[in-house]
Amino acid sequence: MTLRLTKPLLRLTAALVPLLGATAASALDAGTYKIGFIADRTGVVAFAGVSYARGAELAVEQINATGAMGKDTKLEIVEREGGSDAAKSIQGYNQLVADRNVIATSCCIFSGIAGALKPIAIANKVPLVFYGATMPGLPTLPYAYNVTGLPGPQEVALSKHLVEVLKPKTVAYFVLSDNDAFQARFKASQAVFEAAGGKTVGVVTALGADTDFTAQATQVIALKPDLIMVYVTQIPASSFIAAVRQRGWTGRMATNEAVSPIAVFKKIGPALAGVPFSVNFSADLTESEAGKAFVKSYKQKFGSDPDVYAGQGFTAIQLIAQGLKSLPGKPTREQLAEAMAKFDTIQNDIYGGVTLINGQVESKKNLFVNWSPDGKIVPWKP
Amino acid sequence: MELFASQLLNGLALGSLCGLFGIGFGLVFATLGILNAAQGCYASWAAIIGLAAAEKMGAPFPLIMLAGMGGAAAVAVAVDQLGFQPLRTRGADMLGALITSIAFWMILDSLAGFATGQQSLSFPSTSYPGQMLLTEPVPLPAMQLITIAVLVAVAVGMHLLMTRSSVGSAIRAVGWNPVAAALGGVNSRSIILLTAALSGAISGLAGTLGGVLTSNVSFTLGQGLLLKGFAAVVVGGYSDVRGTAIAGVILGILEVFVGQYISTALRDAFTYSLLLVFLLVKPQGLFGKGSLVRA
Repeated sequence: MTLRLTKPLLRLTAALVPLLGATAASALDAGTYKIGFIADRTGVVAFAGVSYARGAELAVEQINATGAMGKDTKLEIVEREGGSDAAKSIQGYNQLVADRNVIATSCCIFSGIAGALKPIAIANKVPLVFYGATMPGLPTLPYAYNVTGLPGPQEVALSKHLVEVLKPKTVAYFVLSDNDAFQARFKASQAVFEAAGGKTVGVVTALGADTDFTAQATQVIALKPDLIMVYVTQIPASSFIAAVRQRGWTGRMATNEAVSPIAVFKKIGPALAGVPFSVNFSADLTESEAGKAFVKSYKQKFGSDPDVYAGQGFTAIQLIAQGLKSLPGKPTREQLAEAMAKFDTIQNDIYGGVTLINGQVESKKNLFVNWSPDGKIVPWKP
Repeated sequence: MELFASQLLNGLALGSLCGLFGIGFGLVFATLGILNAAQGCYASWAAIIGLAAAEKMGAPFPLIMLAGMGGAAAVAVAVDQLGFQPLRTRGADMLGALITSIAFWMILDSLAGFATGQQSLSFPSTSYPGQMLLTEPVPLPAMQLITIAVLVAVAVGMHLLMTRSSVGSAIRAVGWNPVAAALGGVNSRSIILLTAALSGAISGLAGTLGGVLTSNVSFTLGQGLLLKGFAAVVVGGYSDVRGTAIAGVILGILEVFVGQYISTALRDAFTYSLLLVFLLVKPQGLFGKGSLVRA
């Protein structure tokens, strides 16, 4: 009897051992995995840099708190301040890659800096996830990835929507003349309007370092367009819109996600109300479970709603964590890079549907929104 | 014609800010012999302090201006005493002061970034006269007129102070030779402190007005004013307040008109070409008399 029972047990054990072995092999070794992070908490784009860094910080905290990486397995961010400065970012990045305990890295708002760090990442065979740069061609598999959508699709989508709804006959543009990304966005939008018969009556430009936009506001108003499209960064966008409204312009304007952080509404106030822009994430409008959970925990930790930049910082870490989770044992940087290159989606997707194509995130969703007079992001209704 | 008039007003207002900032910048350069790269930070800090007065205390507009000026004066005196006074004691040259001022520029800019939460803030619309005095045929914002009037008042006041008062004579005497001035009975230390405070207050006035006019209170505010203010000082003549004020206005108008009628991309090239021309052809500036190197 004993023998009879023992035999099947042994058979079962023999059958299970390889399986157990397989399970053990598929788990990441316990320990702390370091992610190098070049932050832009200071410098000219620190208004966004703080949000990116907070998003990343929250992602790591959540992953560690839920034990998502496995028992006794943690992630840790090793941060170096880049200050939106190429030399400082490169110096910090070199320090990060020199630390063999850093298994993956993330960086950069400015495309120029991202482009400078990419060859270092490739040479050191360390995965690098860009969280804010928008230059096409940045991702290079298996080492470089970009979780920020490329400029163009959002502008095209919003412009098409504005063509359908407003049917503008004349369009004026306010653009940064020294910013390639915004030039590309403006040109993509202009092509849509012109194809639909929206004549360009003027392109008024400013420089990225400008702080006074009264002259540009006067110049655009004098063109008397049906619609003003604003393709500039946060400070020029907010100051320009305030100057235009202050000068009594009540006509149509549309802009980009640069005005989506609550700080911009606090600065400009109701003058910003009703100006549409396109975003792929909004704390007020997120529908996905992951998005709602992200908003809730971000608000708990930082006391304010996450903006679009925080979402990108959060997603950059999720992508690295997803890569690590898919690997057994103690992976090398190269193995992590190879694993990440196989992904075509991002788990814990706060956007409710993004794809990863050749290392570049593409969002299926475009929300056309505007600020309400009481400071909420709401769906845009003309 | 309406567009021309509107842009002329925009240029006058922008130029007034440059001129105002330049007066503060030029004062410390002409008197204390310091090319102060940290001067732009005084403007940023004035706007930050003015904003705090508006938001935390609900201060009226004149008090906001005074708070900004006072704050900037305090920062300027602190920088002078912590950074420049030890150099003076050791008889260091202008290069040492320039390097020290760059260090303060970095420090004060970083602190300004933290003070504003790295955001660009703006004054509450109820804290300043934001109304339009006219909308047709030319929009006439009250704040632009106030800025122009402030430049005129400060330029006239400073010119009279420097040329018609004993304090102005003492400032000029210390600027020329502190030892000789002391031998003549001037308290050089007090005059240096007064000059630093005055210079900070005037740049602070430009910063606070600039923060209101451009809806931008951040560390970038002072950076924008610094180069334009420097250009105004060089073009106007670093030893004469009138020249700085006029040059500032010319530069503002030039900047706006080049942007309107030629190209924004070429705007700075035009502005700084003018600076280059003056440095080559008339290095003493519009009204300047002395050489750039002090005896």
